[in-house]
Amino acid sequence: MVTPDKIRKKILLAEDDPDDRGFFFQFLNNRADLVLLPPVENGEEVFEYLAKAHNGTFPDLIILDQNMPKCNGLQTLTILKNNIQYKKIPVFMYSTYTDDYLVKKSMQLGARSVLEKPFSPEGYHKMINEMLELI
Amino acid sequence: MESNAKLTNGLSRELEDTRRQLYEALETIEALRTGQVDAIVVQNGSTHELYTLKTADHAYRVFIEKMTEGALTLSQEGIILFANSQFSEMTGLPLSAIIGLPFELFITKSDLSFYQQLFANSWKGYCKGEVEIVYQERRTPVQLSLTALELADGISLSVIITDLTLQKATQRKLQENNRQLEHLNKTLEASNHDLQQFASVASHDLQEPLRKIQMFSNFLKNNAGNLNMEQMAHLEKIIGSADRMKSLIIDILNYSRLSADDGEFSPTDLNIILKELLDDFELMIADKKAKVLYDNLPVLEVIRGQIRQVFQNLISNSLKFSKEDEPPIIKIKASYLASKSFTSPEKTAGPFCLLTIEDNGIGFEDKYAGIVFSLFQRLHSKDSFEGTGIGLAITKKIIEKHHGLIQVKSIVGKGTTFMIVLPLKQQLNGNTG
Repeated sequence: MVTPDKIRKKILLAEDDPDDRGFFFQFLNNRADLVLLPPVENGEEVFEYLAKAHNGTFPDLIILDQNMPKCNGLQTLTILKNNIQYKKIPVFMYSTYTDDYLVKKSMQLGARSVLEKPFSPEGYHKMINEMLELI
Repeated sequence: MESNAKLTNGLSRELEDTRRQLYEALETIEALRTGQVDAIVVQNGSTHELYTLKTADHAYRVFIEKMTEGALTLSQEGIILFANSQFSEMTGLPLSAIIGLPFELFITKSDLSFYQQLFANSWKGYCKGEVEIVYQERRTPVQLSLTALELADGISLSVIITDLTLQKATQRKLQENNRQLEHLNKTLEASNHDLQQFASVASHDLQEPLRKIQMFSNFLKNNAGNLNMEQMAHLEKIIGSADRMKSLIIDILNYSRLSADDGEFSPTDLNIILKELLDDFELMIADKKAKVLYDNLPVLEVIRGQIRQVFQNLISNSLKFSKEDEPPIIKIKASYLASKSFTSPEKTAGPFCLLTIEDNGIGFEDKYAGIVFSLFQRLHSKDSFEGTGIGLAITKKIIEKHHGLIQVKSIVGKGTTFMIVLPLKQQLNGNTG
């Protein structure tokens, strides 16, 4: 039984590491409550994606890796939260190592939460469930 | 003949008398000069006359000869009228050669114009300045104190010359030490910076590939249908090693962050910290049927998170290194000490506090007591007790940051006791950082 697309949450992942993108899709693609949008590799591509999307087709949540080339997680978050069109989209930060600075800064800028990258398939489900509860 | 003899006798007597008077006069003058007497009174007919040397004030003459400074009197032309023997020593010239010379002769060339200005000003009022006295090879940095004196036959200048050789040497030494200290500080800053860089590398760049190892091996394990027993065991070892490396990296990060952490010292009730920790350890305590007994603990001025970490490390060690056949008993005691020493007598209300954490665990040989606080030091194989060997190094670093002391005593098969001395207030050390 597949949930109708309308209530399946559209998730945009910004992640430069192909393995990490692989894990994400491998573990979460079969979930009935999610639609994984084609992933992007950095902040700039987030904006390219959003520019092409229309207001009604924005992702339901954006997950930003902190360490990305060109436009990293915090830089992307800053721009998103200062854009009148995009600022309502819930944004989550995730990183291998979440230090105090990253957490504090992200929350200040308006991220919903900051999460550590999981290291097991169950970890991925747990992470996404936590995000879904917060949006 | 007889009258000749009489005459000769009379003349001899007269000569003898005159010689005696001369000796007396010489002695009197000598006595006046050396300060043995201040003045003599001579009866001259019906009047008394007082004789004294103009500058022959006994106390001052002795004083000037005995003082450690050089002393001079200069004429208005700058000629030396009087010098004491200290000044003679400074220049290496005998007093007889000094008197009558212009003082300028002894001033080093580069200081001459400064001295001339000083000399000119001194007639208007007391002034002082530093110059270098030089004669042949002898150079002495000195301070001159110049005071104009009005004497009966005109104005002269009194000059006190303080030898600054020792002071200059001390100053130079101090400057040198300061330079070295500055250099050390820079090195320390650089190595702190390196540590921060390392922490940043460790936090991301090392953890990234490690996480991949964990991910892929977990992935392999979950799809391990066609792995045989041996392959499966190898895979488990990879996973186990990766987990261990993860905790090592996290512990090293915690250790290196201690240097950078500028958490604030604030009065902290250790009882509250302990209760929180006992809640955290609840499962483990129940599992091991452990008992934790504790005194009423003091309120100390500490960095809360760090002291919590100390208790956490020590309690978790006691629970970890417990005997298999005997439930662990951990006793935490507190007393107040007069000074920062393990042997200090007790003193109500401090200013120091002794905390002891005692267990009845497996203990270790006392010869290891000194090294258990070293980074990466372990006494047990990884198979028997897990751990990174960083916990006690962190503990020690924290206690040192709190200007305290830590030591451990242990008996194999009996248990281990950690002792910590901490100041109640950090200001005692004049340092809160």
